[in-house]
Amino acid sequence: MKYETVIGLEVHVELATKSKIFCSCSAHSFGADPNDHVCPACCGMPGMLPVVNKRVVDFGMKAGMMLNCDINRVTTFDKKSYYYPDLPAAYQTTQWFAPVAVNGLVEIETSKGKKGIRIKQIHMEEDAGKLVHDIREDTTHVDFNRTSVPLIEIVSQPDLSSAEEVEAYLERLKSLLRYAKVAECEMAHGTMRCDVNLSVRPEGSDKLGVRAEMKNMNSIEAIKRAIDYEVARHIDAIENGTEELRQETRRWDDIKGKSYAMRTKETAGDYRYFPDPNVMPVVIDDEWFDSIKASLPEFPEVKKAKYMELGLSEYDATRLSESIAIAECFEDALSVCGNAKEAANWVISEVTRVLNAKGMSYEMLTLDGKVLGKLINLVLESKVSRANAKKILDAMFEDPELDPIKYAEENDLVMSNDTGLVDKVIAEVIAGDAKAVADFKGGKDKALMALFGKCMKQLKGNVDPATLRTMLIDAINKL
Amino acid sequence: MDREILRRLELLNQLKLTEAEKEDVLSFFAAREAEHKVLEAIDTANTERMVHVMPIDTVVREDVVVKMFEREDLQAQAPETDEGYWCVPKVME
Repeated sequence: MKYETVIGLEVHVELATKSKIFCSCSAHSFGADPNDHVCPACCGMPGMLPVVNKRVVDFGMKAGMMLNCDINRVTTFDKKSYYYPDLPAAYQTTQWFAPVAVNGLVEIETSKGKKGIRIKQIHMEEDAGKLVHDIREDTTHVDFNRTSVPLIEIVSQPDLSSAEEVEAYLERLKSLLRYAKVAECEMAHGTMRCDVNLSVRPEGSDKLGVRAEMKNMNSIEAIKRAIDYEVARHIDAIENGTEELRQETRRWDDIKGKSYAMRTKETAGDYRYFPDPNVMPVVIDDEWFDSIKASLPEFPEVKKAKYMELGLSEYDATRLSESIAIAECFEDALSVCGNAKEAANWVISEVTRVLNAKGMSYEMLTLDGKVLGKLINLVLESKVSRANAKKILDAMFEDPELDPIKYAEENDLVMSNDTGLVDKVIAEVIAGDAKAVADFKGGKDKALMALFGKCMKQLKGNVDPATLRTMLIDAINKL
Repeated sequence: MDREILRRLELLNQLKLTEAEKEDVLSFFAAREAEHKVLEAIDTANTERMVHVMPIDTVVREDVVVKMFEREDLQAQAPETDEGYWCVPKVME
């Protein structure tokens, strides 16, 4: 029998705000001491009153608009009860009855073509704290630094049917949310987390199978492995009766490549949702709505089309539009140098080279594209050789304030217009390597490269390679 | 409300009710359900949903970090702390 897989995703994304969702504590605790960014509100102490961070609502709306959702103009917060030490108030403040965004659509593309994935809702909520179990045997240690860090949860309809589609969907979400600058979306940093709801049914059936929810996948690759494992487990259970499938939450162990039952799946009733009387409804008026709408970026596809109109290849246009940081760097460089192909080559080849060497993602790029444009101009005006321009680019990553012209002058990287100096160096090199000269004259082209290299070294790269080559050949031919 | 729902609520709230207390709760909710049925008879089709009891909305603050409390003050009455952490009885991961 053939089977089809039905998958819905719940994706938690940490919003890139400075402060927490309901209090003024810092939302960034990387490297901080435990419980250094806490207050009575995020510690759930009696009598505390939460106040909504406006930027969280801005970002929630923005995310909703990027995912083609309808925005609820009156959006409310609710209490979701569960009792566990990482949640000091014994409830999570989230949105159940009127989430900020509903009824969206995200288009993905896989080897099977394009497909629309419906978004059920996006709701704003607070994160939980962190529990540390291995400091002492007899206690669990609790750190509330992460408590109340703002999240959005993006809930899809069960429209996905393979690991490939899930990967395409997650990549699309990352791209759109990064474009809107509402989130880092880095699974390795925990700023994007994904729970997978999966069931299997006979192909063509309209009845859903028994659903399992899987947690604890820390990368897209791990999610794909978990899906493949879980599909095989379900089919084995259906065909061979190896186990009775239950609606449950399962934990993925990526090292062992297996999932384990954690608990039976909760239902909404178990959480006893009810409106939070301490958080006032948020009414989004036309002015607020329009200001967020006006702040939306161009979509990646729009940028790609624009870049192709500039004469760039589809490959280059795709590479440049896949990240907002890269796209902005390219556009800024282009605004200064006016040469799209040159700017594209520098961003795609050289900027990416330095990022890779430093182990940095595109989103960590702090290079000023306008300064890159100045550097490109130095190359186009033959003031700096390409080789030396790469050295200057390396230095620009170390010092964001660096002026490429000044740096080139101070470090003897300006191209020499002094043909007398070039002639002198060529004469010295030829005189010092008679064998290479004889080899070249005897037809060994490689010998010229050796001489060329010596000249370039003595000139510290500050000469146009084509000019040097021509002058070197002329000098040898005159011997 | 029936005995099965009550059993689940006991479990969720970590309560153990006596038989007399269960009867009390069941009769209390039976009375509330009767009142609810009366309210359900009212036509609310054209009534705007009330989202909050207070006539206040959109109480928001700007995204500014302010450190107002020191950890030591917040943990002053904690039964046990260790290296800046609150300590609780061991729980499952």
